[in-house]
Amino acid sequence: MNRSLARRSDRAFAALACLSLVLGPLAARGQEHASPLWFQGTRLILSRAVPLDGDLAVPTRDPGMRHFLERLGASVSYDPQQRYVVVTSEDRRSIVFTVGDPSYAVGGVRARAPFAPQADGDDVDLPFFTLARALYVEPLDDGGETVLQPRIGALDVRADGPHTSVTVTGAMPLVTDGQHDSPERLQLAFVGQGSALGPLRNALGPAVSAIDVAVGGTARVPITTLTLAGAPGSTHRVFPGPAPDTLIIVFDSAPTGAVAAARTPPTPPPPAEVGAVSTDLTPPPSAEPGPTAAPPIVAGRATVTDLEIAPGADDALTVQVTLSGAVPYTWHRLPDHRWYIDFANATLTGPGREEHPSFGAVQSVRVAQIGGDDAPAVRIAFTMSGDQQIDLTPSASGLTIAVGTAPNTDLPRAGGGQTGGVPLVASSVMPGPEPTPSAPSGPGSRIIVIDPGHGGDDHGTEHNGLSEKQITLDIADRLRALLLAQGWTVRMTRETDVDPVSAANLTRMRADGIPNPTDRAYLQTRCDVANDVNARLFISIHVNSAPIPSARGTTVYWYKPQDLPFAQAIEKSVIPAAQTQDDGTRHENFYVIRHTTMPAVLIETAFITNLDDVALLRQPAFLQRLAQGIANGVKAYAGSPAANTVSQQQ
Amino acid sequence: MVLIALFVVAVAAAWWATHRQPPGVGDTIVVYSTKTDGTTLLPWRVSLGSARDRSSVAFYAATQCVAGPPPSVEAVRFPPGTHVRTVDVEGTTADVDLSREVDASAAGGFAEAAEFKALVWTLTQPQLGIDAVRVRIDGARVATLPGGHLELDEPLTRASF
Repeated sequence: MNRSLARRSDRAFAALACLSLVLGPLAARGQEHASPLWFQGTRLILSRAVPLDGDLAVPTRDPGMRHFLERLGASVSYDPQQRYVVVTSEDRRSIVFTVGDPSYAVGGVRARAPFAPQADGDDVDLPFFTLARALYVEPLDDGGETVLQPRIGALDVRADGPHTSVTVTGAMPLVTDGQHDSPERLQLAFVGQGSALGPLRNALGPAVSAIDVAVGGTARVPITTLTLAGAPGSTHRVFPGPAPDTLIIVFDSAPTGAVAAARTPPTPPPPAEVGAVSTDLTPPPSAEPGPTAAPPIVAGRATVTDLEIAPGADDALTVQVTLSGAVPYTWHRLPDHRWYIDFANATLTGPGREEHPSFGAVQSVRVAQIGGDDAPAVRIAFTMSGDQQIDLTPSASGLTIAVGTAPNTDLPRAGGGQTGGVPLVASSVMPGPEPTPSAPSGPGSRIIVIDPGHGGDDHGTEHNGLSEKQITLDIADRLRALLLAQGWTVRMTRETDVDPVSAANLTRMRADGIPNPTDRAYLQTRCDVANDVNARLFISIHVNSAPIPSARGTTVYWYKPQDLPFAQAIEKSVIPAAQTQDDGTRHENFYVIRHTTMPAVLIETAFITNLDDVALLRQPAFLQRLAQGIANGVKAYAGSPAANTVSQQQ
Repeated sequence: MVLIALFVVAVAAAWWATHRQPPGVGDTIVVYSTKTDGTTLLPWRVSLGSARDRSSVAFYAATQCVAGPPPSVEAVRFPPGTHVRTVDVEGTTADVDLSREVDASAAGGFAEAAEFKALVWTLTQPQLGIDAVRVRIDGARVATLPGGHLELDEPLTRASF
């Protein structure tokens, strides 16, 4: 072998060695065998899984992985530009992996995975079995197949005076086959979940003497039975936890040897809406409406008694809608030659229908019932051959919709009005307010703009049978009457259940033409109503919402320094009038108070998520007190035009 | 020989780029949530993994803020399912992309203000060198959440709250 040949063979050897270093682990991956996976009674296909070091390397975007995490209510945060991968379980525990590092953390506790997660393009391979265990899912061998068994993963026992609360956390929403209990003993059987807990746990506190955990069933259909023995004379209650996979059991010890009466648990009861746990649980007492609760506010409803589609003049198509009463409506024109109109608070007498007229420019007409029981609406939608002119003509019995044949351009994109002979703003965009020539502007202006939050497709917050857009309009109507009586000129950003979008702003809307609060134009329209007339004051009315049922009360928000004295005056007046909890004035970067040029406030009148506040919001008298309080605040801050005029004359 | 030297330099540079720590970042970082009064901040510390570069730490801090404190702690929390899609840090501004689930908090000013106050305070803690936070929802810049309260298409700072 000459020297040149030897050098060449050395290079070949080196190349082979490098190649084997690169390909070796990949080859080893493929040599391992993965048994079929079963999860919740179905085969789980991880199409991009690679067995590795006793685990499975699976990309987070593998369809099977996504399905698995979705079933568990878990979410993944991964940015290819960063090294952390965070999986958040349904009960808000974080499982934190680091790319290139086999150590990981579960709820702050560090452990070591069989291999380090590796970036793979814009995705990352995670150790699947390690992740599953962190989410309380145990891989079990069952006849040569691997069953992914959800388990009860945590039992948190806390003592607080005479109370002992036990929080049960499972991998999946907790389902029981019923509970078997006596005052001092509770037994719950969780079907479909095994247990990662020990067989017997010592209890804490005076109210629970023992907790026993027993697992039965099979690997595929496990049953975990939880038995809690209370102290003599104790009582207990069961609540849904803050997440569907949690359950809270509260034992109250007997105060004087007698059976204790029901008391407030140490853990605040969850909101009424949380009750997604599929058990026959006793609802928390606070979830029940108070004795003063009245039915939800429901505006007058109408029924579509007849709907006739017929040819009109000049080959136009007309739709005659007959209603049993007057209702507001909104309409929208979409860029793809579709047009629809929604009649609010209206119902159909029969099922929806779809027709394909043989005349005119309309290809199809669809009539459907939309919305829920608390806010029903009837939608009529056209698909047309082009952007045809549509004229709306109200009558005492309803509304006539006439669709022309000639395509047109620069047609308005949305509008609204009222049926039943009420003057109508249709076939044109909701007009912005026209400045009143005689009205003085600026500090001397007599104009106050009231902004009833939300409207039309934007319902605002909806809980406990109430809709924010209805309440804000109700309060605004009451406030308008009070301010008019004070001598103010009052403008509203909306007077009916519509999206208050001005013609000028429509051109800046999204391509789909549908008003949406996330569009700047949508909110700017509300500001422009006040800015364009240089109003004296701007008052935006809202109803608050919170993920915490205990949050309640009235808050007055301000942004600009000039807003603060006005906000303080409103707060000072509205709290005693409405008798709500005073949550004070708060500085927040809210759009409508930031982009109005005059003193402006946004009032969150009460919480639609708090049952005490909800009971108030259902009372017209309360809405009147709110309006009166706001009007008093206006008077305290700005006086009244009549009084000001008198004082100026003096 | 020269190639080997270049290779070593490249590896060292790559390691430095991915492992360099911003000044002041230790083994833990502060994460804020907002108490149930909607305004008072509740700070807690979380341990960092081995990645200490500013961008990764900011991403991690944002994910922990969105996940919220341990379940036993009462706080205003982002809606279930909300997660951080990306965090881009450029200069003193972090651009955070949140998943669409955050829209569920958009019903009242209370929740919006509390959630984003916590996020902004978490990302603007001094050791990250971030002053302002821009927000996207599902990749899109929005004026506000559907609730129409907090303005989100301009950078948020601690002074915004």
